[in-house]
Amino acid sequence: MSGTDSTTAPAALLDIRDLHVKVGGQQVLRGISLTIGAGQVHAIMGPNGSGKSTLAHVLAGRPGYDIVSGSASFEGRDLFALAPEQRARAGLFLGFQYPVEIPGVNNAYLLKAALNAARRERSLAELDAFEFLAVVRAKIKLMQIDESFLSRGVNEGFSGGEKKRNEILQMLVLEPKLALLDETDSGLDIDALKVVANGINSLRGPQHAIVLVTHYQRMLDYVVPDFVHVLARGRIVRSGDRTLALELEKRGYDWVSGQAAA
Amino acid sequence: MGAGMLTAAAAVPPRSATLERILSDYQAVAARLPEAPVTREARTRAMRELSSLGWPKSSDEQWRYTNLRAFEAVAAFAPAALTPAALVPAPAAAPVRDPLPSAPELPPTLPGFERLVYIDGVRYQHAATAAAGVAGAQWPAEQRLGLLCDMFASDVAGLRIRGTAAIEVLFLTSAAAAGASCYPRLQVALEPGSELQLVERHLGGTDAPTLVCANIEVELARGARLVHYRLQQCGLHTAFADTLCARLAEESSYRVRQVAIGAACARTSAQVRLAGRGAALSWQAIAVGRGQQVHDTALKVEHLAADTRTEEVFRGIADERARIAFSGHIHIAASAPGSDTRQSLRGLIEGAGAEVDLRPRLEINTDEVKAQHGATTGALDENLMFYLLARGIDRDSARALLKWAFLGDVLRAIELPEVRRAAEHGAAGQLPDVMAVGALT
Repeated sequence: MSGTDSTTAPAALLDIRDLHVKVGGQQVLRGISLTIGAGQVHAIMGPNGSGKSTLAHVLAGRPGYDIVSGSASFEGRDLFALAPEQRARAGLFLGFQYPVEIPGVNNAYLLKAALNAARRERSLAELDAFEFLAVVRAKIKLMQIDESFLSRGVNEGFSGGEKKRNEILQMLVLEPKLALLDETDSGLDIDALKVVANGINSLRGPQHAIVLVTHYQRMLDYVVPDFVHVLARGRIVRSGDRTLALELEKRGYDWVSGQAAA
Repeated sequence: MGAGMLTAAAAVPPRSATLERILSDYQAVAARLPEAPVTREARTRAMRELSSLGWPKSSDEQWRYTNLRAFEAVAAFAPAALTPAALVPAPAAAPVRDPLPSAPELPPTLPGFERLVYIDGVRYQHAATAAAGVAGAQWPAEQRLGLLCDMFASDVAGLRIRGTAAIEVLFLTSAAAAGASCYPRLQVALEPGSELQLVERHLGGTDAPTLVCANIEVELARGARLVHYRLQQCGLHTAFADTLCARLAEESSYRVRQVAIGAACARTSAQVRLAGRGAALSWQAIAVGRGQQVHDTALKVEHLAADTRTEEVFRGIADERARIAFSGHIHIAASAPGSDTRQSLRGLIEGAGAEVDLRPRLEINTDEVKAQHGATTGALDENLMFYLLARGIDRDSARALLKWAFLGDVLRAIELPEVRRAAEHGAAGQLPDVMAVGALT
């Protein structure tokens, strides 16, 4: 499946070919092919257990997944040959569905270390504390996060919504080439959803691609995707534009699950 | 436990070579030991009691993790301070030892704190402190190293507090103590409603096996509040033992923040009795070991009265081939309904040859008790590790950050900023990778 049109397509940022993945001996992905170009926004939807989170985590390099066959290239590099931290520094960002709490490591430290790791990779000078603060302050404001949070432990004592906003803040600070956002909308009330969507939209641009992994259509009202793909039983069973998401909303996942089983 | 009871024991264990050396050293110096910190009668009683109990063995459950060989390697059990210069009868006000270690060896003074300095167990250049009048502790078998200090102590820091005070007591081991022993002794008594912030630090060391064997006795009267910061940063040739006995009267509060990072082998034996209604203990401790260091703590808390509370938190990191052990025994007597205990023990094994042993034990003899306890030992959490890697942090730095985070809740519980910084730098010094990533900043 391709998310690009051959006549207008930008160069492929991520190219996944016939990816088969097992988790704990169980086949979860059964031949995913997907091409994502720079500047595009893709939504990957699907029922629970369809493999959409697995896809995001495999791409980010989470251990515990067995890549049986297939390939993924990121800007022409073999993604699976890179360690997770190398993928991150190369410009791939995973926004976690369940961000972990790390008391004792403060947000500012993590953000600055992550940003400088990415800058080193791009042969850019590291930012000192003042330069870093200047970068982060504007993004904090956008995400409606109190500045005092910088001195708190990573996600320590944060509500579900705060954790998600923090994920998007990290994304904005790191300015990745490709952001994989795994169910970032889950557990958000409508106000928090708007803040998060606003943050995501602020990253949109020709240099950044975004993949929204989501169960529900509502996020796509605020972050309008260029392409929508539906996963069922480890396969992309349908691709289209945003109207596909609306149709799914009307007809439910049984509509596509039946196709996957066929 | 009195000597009379012990002589009635059916079987007297054979004396070990170490015990023989201890007794021989004691006989050699007994006549020259000062009366002030411990009466001759009490010293003799301690000697008899230790003779009866015997030197601990690794086969004893309570001593399994203590590296007894580190203690046995000490050449002389007589106090290092028992030199001709030290034989000024206590409590003389003049300096007992000179010179004071040069200033860089001493940590910065704490604002608002009175500082007392003891070198090799003997006070240096401050007004003599009288014994606090705490009754001599009764050391059970698992705390028998306390008997050594009773036998050999040369001095005592005796603090009787009425009102509010802040005191730092530095116990330094100097080069003069090489191959010998030091017996720091601290007695603290808080009168009703009094408050004390107490910093107890053990520093220094020598190039030869040296024993530092400290006794700490704490007595809190009704409504008294003691915050006790304990930092053990002895040199790596030190065999360190501290034996602590505390008794809390009603509505008193005892908060202990303990950091153990030094010594070849460190053994903390502590018993805290919550004797009065509403008494509360908060014991939060970390131990970080590397190389072949051993940190072994045996803490027994007795709830003897109603509505008493214990919070016990321990975090231990064993790197390389280090061993960390923590035995947390909480006993709730029938006389202590309404007791509330929370125990959280966690160990992190970082080295291939490292070992962590956590032993929570809860004995409840009454109803209406709240008790939570948990003990976990393992490697770093892979979910946390992946989160950091996914942010581009390299693997070594991620490990260092997570180790630092592991200690974080206890380090953050050190309210006094200067002490917290000292504790953080001490702990980070044990974790060079933490220092390298600059997690302290």
